[in-house]
Amino acid sequence: MIKKLETNKKMGELLQEYYIRGLFEDYRAWITSGGPVEFLYSMGVYPVYPENHAALIGAAKEGVNYASISEGDGYSQDLCSYVRCDIGAIISGNSPVGGLPVPSFLVSANNICNTVVKWYEILSRTYDVPLFLLDIPFIRKEMKENYIDYVESQMYDLIKFISTITGRDFDEDEFYKTAVLSIKGIKSYEEVLRMGAHKPSPLTCFDAFINMAPIVCLRGTEAPINFYEGMKAELDERVKNGIGAVDNEEVRLLWDNIPIWYGLRWLADFFAEHNACLVADTYTNAWTFFGDLDLNNPIRGMAQAYSPIYLNIGIERMAEVVNKLIDIYDIDGVVMHSNRSCKPYSFSQYELQKMLDVPSVIIDADQTDYRVFSQAQIETRLEAFLEMLR
Amino acid sequence: MKEGLYRKIGYFCTFTPKELIHAAGFTPIRLLADNTPINRANAYIQNYCCSQVKGCLEKMLNGDLELDGAVFTRSCDSLMRLTDIWELNSNIPVYDLEFPTNIGDKSKGYFLNELLDFKKWLESLNGDEKITFDNLKDSIMLYYDLDKKLDRLYSLNPEYNLAIKALTSNPAIALDEIEKRLNHLNNQSMNEIEKNIDKKKAKILVTGSICPSTDIYEIIQDSGFSIVDDFCTGTRFFKSDAILPEINNMDDAMNFLIQKYFLKAPCPTKHYDNDRRFAYILEKAKDVDGVIFLLVKFCEPHFFDYPQLRKKIEEIGKKTLLLEFELPITSFDQIKLRINAFSEMF
Ligand code: SF4
Ligand code: SF4
Repeated sequence: MIKKLETNKKMGELLQEYYIRGLFEDYRAWITSGGPVEFLYSMGVYPVYPENHAALIGAAKEGVNYASISEGDGYSQDLCSYVRCDIGAIISGNSPVGGLPVPSFLVSANNICNTVVKWYEILSRTYDVPLFLLDIPFIRKEMKENYIDYVESQMYDLIKFISTITGRDFDEDEFYKTAVLSIKGIKSYEEVLRMGAHKPSPLTCFDAFINMAPIVCLRGTEAPINFYEGMKAELDERVKNGIGAVDNEEVRLLWDNIPIWYGLRWLADFFAEHNACLVADTYTNAWTFFGDLDLNNPIRGMAQAYSPIYLNIGIERMAEVVNKLIDIYDIDGVVMHSNRSCKPYSFSQYELQKMLDVPSVIIDADQTDYRVFSQAQIETRLEAFLEMLR
Repeated sequence: MKEGLYRKIGYFCTFTPKELIHAAGFTPIRLLADNTPINRANAYIQNYCCSQVKGCLEKMLNGDLELDGAVFTRSCDSLMRLTDIWELNSNIPVYDLEFPTNIGDKSKGYFLNELLDFKKWLESLNGDEKITFDNLKDSIMLYYDLDKKLDRLYSLNPEYNLAIKALTSNPAIALDEIEKRLNHLNNQSMNEIEKNIDKKKAKILVTGSICPSTDIYEIIQDSGFSIVDDFCTGTRFFKSDAILPEINNMDDAMNFLIQKYFLKAPCPTKHYDNDRRFAYILEKAKDVDGVIFLLVKFCEPHFFDYPQLRKKIEEIGKKTLLLEFELPITSFDQIKLRINAFSEMF
């Protein structure tokens, strides 16, 4: 059986605080998970994360309810279910957390997918608020100077955009402070994730998933630093006492792609029962990318850090990243979630499989829409895979 | 000139500047899925990918494409990933042209640099032979002529196979044929042409990413509609609001290309100020009786636009129909049935 972390409770409190704060702020911007939130925090704008909200709907097993509402409005069932869930929540005016606060403006960065361009255009029409599209070229191979110049120039446009709407000036010192907090948050999150390298691992990727909201939503504030330090202390304790997240850890696995939010518990139990531990994943580790920020020139540094993130690089570079994780965490096998929603994440998998240093298995599902998910089929497939690894 | 070349370069997005490819001595070929059944591609990309991507991949894996290069743009998530899958599994040199998603003054400088890099790549494919100003100017003029004449032909009597020919084969030969058709039409008196245009027919706007099958157009016409199209395999190929300036040097030529592709008929894979694509479609919708969304299954950019666009079109009193298809099209009966039913509403 899975062992729960005390930290999970604190996470709930932190998130609640974060959600409540949103109701009282003057300016709220909806922003994509790969967007440079540091500009918002440093200019006193409260960031709202529709992706996180959709994940929450998925984890509450409400994905199909909300997705169906948007499908009734004409959205195809083949579109990313995060979008379908959130649009369903907007139409119904409800969600497990009572819906999201209305945006003052929108910031979308296409470094995670092209889907968010369309998604945010829809939001912009729905709420009749301005949209800033941060257009980040796909870094398939090298990161050309021209790309960084282009992204950097847009960072200045973004500042002007926020300034015009809020009437607030950009303060370089404030921004610097936010950037420092952001890096610190990422570093402490990274330390938590790296605890998975211990044998046995004191955490599973499910712990990482459940506790990722602070680094996404509160990056650039003090909150994630303290939170992950607390989480790390709890994990240190486990390591000191030789306690693994899974009893009798025999097989060490890496998860690829966004979680199957409605199936977290079931999957966690399944692996624990089979003495297998998902010690890390490519999804949460993706956030550690932002950590390489050049503080000497933070705005250009932002352009450099936000461009080559995991979903915005070519498959060969992705393979390098995954093989590095396989090495760091001493992984025996990779479990790939072929996720109908997320095409940029999933369409690389068949090629990736050929490039990885360890065997891998693909399971078909969706991040929030459980209509395309067959528990029995996945179990059979995973059992065969684990058998093969032993 | 390098020996042993096919002298053909395939491309995937209508926003690829064909003029540069042509000026480098290659025929730009728009790659399109066709009747090839999809088998092998399933081992390289998931089945929830659009059939345009899967179909082209299949043709490449079958060795059916004789190309000196393939040019990709990051227009959608499927194409973005296809670039690597293609490169890893073929000997065809691959280039990804990072056409900006944000179309506007602010991305012009960036795009110019991308174009210059693209030019270098094309030259390297051609044994480092430089693209000369004269060649580029000739190619620009050729395509300008082709665009204008196709536009004229489409306004008189659209012949969908001719646009498809123009984008999948030698443009000079296609131009020749288009000119012949135009001459033929010019020789007919206006009366005769008008006679052929049945005024009682309901006019329909058909919109989507690609429509590589002229059979579908025929079905629509046979159901009693006259067609206005919004496809990369039709109007989006040749329509741009850019006006040809005097082109005296390389800078002029490059600037015109930027202008031309930025002012091209808008596509949902790009982001425009003031919601230009919606405005464009709504403007076109005003002059028709109804709109058919003819969309390739799994084509996200178009499916994301659909619900809000449909609503706005219906708000101005036009009927709409959503038709989803996959390539190869195995049965036209279903499509025929739906279109016939739709035509009865007029
Ligand atoms: S396509 Fe993938 S990255 Fe984009 S919003 Fe959906 S889940 Fe997120
Ligand atoms: S049909 Fe749509 S999804 Fe497919 S390649 Fe074209 S734009 Fe992309």
